Amino acid sequence: MEQTEASAAVSGTHGGGERTARKAATALEVVVAVDASEESLHALSWALDNIVRCHPDATLVVVHAQHAVDHFAYPVAAHAVVYAPSAAAESMHTVAQEENSRRIVARALDVCKERQVGATGAVVEGDAKEAICQAVERMQAGLLVLGSRGLGTIKRAFLGSVSDYLIHHACCPVLVVRPRPTK
Amino acid sequence: MAEEAASAPAGTEAPPPGKMTMVAGVDDSDHSFYALQWALRHFFPPGQPQQYRLVVVTAKPSAASAVGLAGPGAADVLPYVEADLKKTALRVIDKAKALCAQVSDAVFEAVEGDARNVLCEAVERHHAEMLVVGSHGYGAIKRAVLGSVSDYCAHHAHCTVMIVKKPKQHKH
Repeated sequence: MEQTEASAAVSGTHGGGERTARKAATALEVVVAVDASEESLHALSWALDNIVRCHPDATLVVVHAQHAVDHFAYPVAAHAVVYAPSAAAESMHTVAQEENSRRIVARALDVCKERQVGATGAVVEGDAKEAICQAVERMQAGLLVLGSRGLGTIKRAFLGSVSDYLIHHACCPVLVVRPRPTK
Repeated sequence: MAEEAASAPAGTEAPPPGKMTMVAGVDDSDHSFYALQWALRHFFPPGQPQQYRLVVVTAKPSAASAVGLAGPGAADVLPYVEADLKKTALRVIDKAKALCAQVSDAVFEAVEGDARNVLCEAVERHHAEMLVVGSHGYGAIKRAVLGSVSDYCAHHAHCTVMIVKKPKQHKH
């Protein structure tokens, strides 16, 4: 098969990788996970500056994971509990959450626009770790970019870490952007 | 940043201005070479001018930590273990050099010590913007017992860390 990409020739030790190498070399799909934190926006900016620079034809998708609405038990009176939340409470909660997600994604897309990079936004529902993991698999991403809050080991063990989970379970390479050390 | 003529750096500390430094951690496993190849494919495309300076680092564990037995025979075994470790490290570096033939600005180092510390310290020494490591894909138990270099680096390196996993289904 005609090798149009010279890079594939270098990594010619494994034949199966040629097809994926050509696909990956031509269009890198970068997924950036954002939430309300500053670190994730910093990660997005870092990715825009450093990744997109090397790959002018990279596609960027900004993903925000929204917590699924939990079904709380609302105490109706002092001695009665309603299991399913009332429609009004649930819709209010959902609307507020959706508004929040939209704002976060809009902010992220603004950052992309500042650097003249076209990006699409997506909101996935559910537990952040699994939702982002599934989204990455669905989109066949070439790279996942995350921010890192820089929590210590103990805090990470108790609070859980989305980046920890994704490093080990995502189906694509993961880039963890550390907060800039103040020099 | 002032533009200076990019010359081959004699000292490894100050990278030529305008170019960012990427450290790639390799060991004697397929996973780390896959990660290195992935990084080469995406960040050092042969046609375009290269915007990164590549530093390939392999950690050579000290013989004493590798052997781990204390007994009358340990002292005799150590020289052989040391020689074998050195040979492995050199083999890793040679393989990396062969892969990185297309990179114009590449430095190769074999440093003695534990992989975690070696990689983080290399990042600081070269003022790297990015660290690329492979991942063995161990499960949670193995990771807890054997320790995970990629885990450690992701949380302790002072730069962005890229963890590349070798996909299970594509390779044969």
